Amino acid sequence: MRVRLTVDGEPAELDVAPTDLLLDSLRSLGFSAIKEGCGVGVCGLCSVLVDEQPVGSCLRLTATCDGTAVLTAAGVARRHPALVAAFCDHEAFQCGICTPGQLVMASAVLARSPRPTEEEVRDLMAGSLCRCTGYRTIVEAILAAGGT
Amino acid sequence: MAFARSEHPSARVVRIDSRSAAAAPGVVAVITAADLPTRTLGRAVRDMPLLAGGRVRFVGERVAAVVAETRDQAEAAAALVNVGYEIEPAVLDMEQALESDAPAVHVAPWDYPGAAMREADGHNLQSLVEVGSRDAVDAVLDAAEHVVDRQYWTPSVHQGYLEPPATLAAPGHGGGVELWTSNKAPYRLRSMLAEALGLPLGAIVVHPVAIGGDFGGKAAPMDAALCALLALRIGRPVRFLPRASEDLIAGNPRHAARIRVRLGCDAAGRLVGGGVDVLFDGGAYAAFKPRPRADLHGADSVFAGYRLPVAHVRSRVVYTHTVPRGHMRAPGSPQCNFAFESALDELAELAGMEPAEIRRRNLLTSGEPDAWGHTAVEQRGHQTLEAALNGFSPLPAPAGWRSRVGLSFYERPTAVGRTSLRLSPAGSRVRAEVAMPEAGGGVHTVVRSGLARLLGIAPDGIEVVHVPTSELPHDDGVGASRVTTGLSIALEAAAVVFDRSDRSQAVTVRSDPGPQPIVTSSCVQVAQVAVDETTGAYRVLQVLTAADVGDVLNPAAHRLQLEGGAAMGYGFACLEDLRIEEGRVWAAQHGEFRMPSTRDVPVWRTVLVRGGRGVGALNVKPVGELANVGVAAAIANALAAAGARVRALPITAERVLDALAQAGP
Repeated sequence: MRVRLTVDGEPAELDVAPTDLLLDSLRSLGFSAIKEGCGVGVCGLCSVLVDEQPVGSCLRLTATCDGTAVLTAAGVARRHPALVAAFCDHEAFQCGICTPGQLVMASAVLARSPRPTEEEVRDLMAGSLCRCTGYRTIVEAILAAGGT
Repeated sequence: MAFARSEHPSARVVRIDSRSAAAAPGVVAVITAADLPTRTLGRAVRDMPLLAGGRVRFVGERVAAVVAETRDQAEAAAALVNVGYEIEPAVLDMEQALESDAPAVHVAPWDYPGAAMREADGHNLQSLVEVGSRDAVDAVLDAAEHVVDRQYWTPSVHQGYLEPPATLAAPGHGGGVELWTSNKAPYRLRSMLAEALGLPLGAIVVHPVAIGGDFGGKAAPMDAALCALLALRIGRPVRFLPRASEDLIAGNPRHAARIRVRLGCDAAGRLVGGGVDVLFDGGAYAAFKPRPRADLHGADSVFAGYRLPVAHVRSRVVYTHTVPRGHMRAPGSPQCNFAFESALDELAELAGMEPAEIRRRNLLTSGEPDAWGHTAVEQRGHQTLEAALNGFSPLPAPAGWRSRVGLSFYERPTAVGRTSLRLSPAGSRVRAEVAMPEAGGGVHTVVRSGLARLLGIAPDGIEVVHVPTSELPHDDGVGASRVTTGLSIALEAAAVVFDRSDRSQAVTVRSDPGPQPIVTSSCVQVAQVAVDETTGAYRVLQVLTAADVGDVLNPAAHRLQLEGGAAMGYGFACLEDLRIEEGRVWAAQHGEFRMPSTRDVPVWRTVLVRGGRGVGALNVKPVGELANVGVAAAIANALAAAGARVRALPITAERVLDALAQAGP
């Protein structure tokens, strides 16, 4: 079936099977900022925004995304340069594999709560795992980007 | 590429019918053991076949490989491979492996290349290491004022890197092969592939890739060897990207352990002797362990930092019909440290002493030899302990919950790695080509920060480039806490040679430092817990890590290694368990295998104990495998202070409740 959507503002058109996952469809288009992690919606590596809602793209069927606007970490980075700068300034990553998903989720947190408390950040970011850092710097970066 | 995998822990493979798979859409090749060289593979003990031949030895073992045009097609076809099994008796746990009538996991394990065991050692042993005298320990414990004799259990856990270990192999020039693979030791991988494929080293090129987390798990040659073999056979690039669940079931996770600790002291709380007997579950193959004796250094270094006049350690790794185990961040140490530091607190309680006091009376001072007679250049356990205690301040606990504090000590021995690099002028900057991959620990940052110091230029003036294995001499890869120390020596040598040419000529340095003076790092951790006595629910409110350091090259990266290590230690202590039962990994998905999230982790506090004597001109001490080790004992000791002594990990609310009930009101 034919699916038309925009990815990071660019129109895209895909021919997909009903079972194709958004993760695989977007990567096949070359959007490599989306990373495959656990495959079961737990780790957050593949997070994207679909019509501004954070979604695990490993759980979302591409066929249900016709007419939507998808934002990957690359699009989030262009929209929120201050968030990217905060991640760099606070050393909010080590190996970097989780960073695209962290940025997407962080932008969703800030959209919902522009000046979040630490507790809100820790609550809302619990679906974005990081095995390297221990999270302090990630939380601090999001608080700083939110001006708190 | 995708695999058909064994459904059984132990079975004879009586037939493989791959006709349906071969006829499936997009399939290029279906390969079984019959199509491969019979050679077995491994890092030290070469006991693992690339694909299972006559028998399977764990659930998830690879029986057939399917190459297709797409990953989905390969997986769909792999499901069509029809394997006929004859189920055989299985060895499902470590104790059973040692029974005289236990089934043999391997018929003649001593015949494998690199085998650590002889026929006389028995069938199901991967490794046996014994240090010191058990009789001498028995004798002093018989006469000791206070003695504890306890057993502790730790489960198997996955390294938990979030990037699945992917490999792409492509035919190279002149019969060679090129690889892009998530492997932390490319030069060692190249050597293993050369042996496995029967190719000269120069015919194999491992290209640089950024590694999405390692923590000890990404040194296995298996996937790379299969991809390379198949790429050469079909003349096309072959990729393998495992599903995370495949890697949880059939990766190379941490060894589960049963550890018996016997420890005695005199009336003043001075240790008179100690014995530690460790049984590790090595799973179906020893292939993932790199040490020639196939052991884990955490066992025989369990007494490090303590004065122990009479000591004995026996460490056995057994074969079972379960997933083969490998290395994970300080192999053996998180298990043995949890047991020893818990037992030391139990001894302190018997002797009527505070946990800090029994450590004060038994930590080494500079110049004293350790239990095995080795003397380090300095001992900083005492300073580190006092810094931890002074730096600690309690956080408020939930109303009605009992809040207590526990502590642990760990001393890390230092290794120094071999590596190589090339420095060259690049306009107004200096280019540093390095052989060592970046797995997230900050290796390339170390190169930049270290060279900037040695050359007296700004870090921005240095460009770090990771190059293929064809470009530089041998490098040991990332691991064993030898990265920063090895680079400290290599960078110093390179800077000296580079300066001789006034920094105008490219210089290549091969660094093989050999034995070094014994440098150790002390680490003391303090955990604060709060327990709800009605339900056994508990929270870890904070973990303070006091680390003995030399000079710190990059303070932010250094602190992240400590905090991230503590987070991994917290996961091991409180959450993680692959739940291997009946020969099968039951926590076969993330979520089932639960790792710490932002919501779980406690507050991290870090205290640096500066002024240590480190390695090389940069005066560095390792940090990668320090803070993950002692967290479990610190938390367990805090819970014990609150009335719940838990001797098995992970520490669940149920275990806390049981322990509270056993302790009585």
